[in-house]
Amino acid sequence: MNMKREIEDKKLKAFLKSGQLESPGPDFSNRVMNRVFEEKAALEQVKSEPLLGKGFWIILALFAGLMAVVFVMQGSGISGGQTFSFLKEVNTSAVATGYQNFFEKLGAVPLSVAGILLGTSVLLFLEKYLSNRSYVVS
Amino acid sequence: MEPKDDNYYIEKVLSGETNYFSYIVEKYQDIVFSIALKVLRNREDAEEMAQESFIKAYKSLGSFRGSAKFSTWLYRITYNTCISETRKKKQHFTSTDDVQISDEAEEMNLDGIPEENRARYIKEALEKLPEDEYTLVLLYYFEEKSVDEICTVTGLSASNAKVKLFRARKKLYTILNEMLKDELHTIL
Repeated sequence: MNMKREIEDKKLKAFLKSGQLESPGPDFSNRVMNRVFEEKAALEQVKSEPLLGKGFWIILALFAGLMAVVFVMQGSGISGGQTFSFLKEVNTSAVATGYQNFFEKLGAVPLSVAGILLGTSVLLFLEKYLSNRSYVVS
Repeated sequence: MEPKDDNYYIEKVLSGETNYFSYIVEKYQDIVFSIALKVLRNREDAEEMAQESFIKAYKSLGSFRGSAKFSTWLYRITYNTCISETRKKKQHFTSTDDVQISDEAEEMNLDGIPEENRARYIKEALEKLPEDEYTLVLLYYFEEKSVDEICTVTGLSASNAKVKLFRARKKLYTILNEMLKDELHTIL
């Protein structure tokens, strides 16, 4: 039985092979290769870029600096009110008013938390700015 | 240029000579496209998915370990890509699995089919097979893959693949018999 099936299989194989398979369009191979080269170029670009870009280090440095300032201010006992009086002495009227309102609102939260919130906002803005710039350059 | 083993081209591509991938594309484009066409039933979609399959193969070439044949690995990528595409598009084709296996299908004299009409008979008969059986026939009879290799491509169990192959062969005989009868009827 198996022998018979093997012979049948061989006949069918030979028969089917005398037919033709479907073929894609004539420029199929070229299109595939164009995509392959695009993929290769994209891969090489990713490889050539450092894992952590310049923007990351700038943001990290700023954040570290900000944290240090917050730490020093907290250690020296400067509160939100004192910060405001310092601004008043400088006499920068309009700006000082803005800061006054801002720090009054922040008065309810510890200075360190307020500093981190402010810092994060600045960092987010910077990150957006830097990524936009790098997009324009590329 | 003398044709080389697949591994030769793979090594060349992996060493950075990407141009050599075109030999692989040229060699396998017909079978990859045929599988895609049968599953997707549309030439445009089939070309797109065949292209996608080659790109996936290129991107994963580094992970090809050579435990299976490259062709088996490539067909598995193709088959899975096309099946995923039909699921993504939620395509539900009406089943072509309505070929009733006749008693005459037990045996058939394939030499009785005139040589000049063979290509047309084969094409039409294969078109009538459902996509899973078509893929099995393609891999087993055209590509001479073993049942184990077919299982790797399709994810079927060995027993299931054997049963499906058996049914596919009977269906092919039934279809070819009917085509021959129709042709005789037309002549007479």
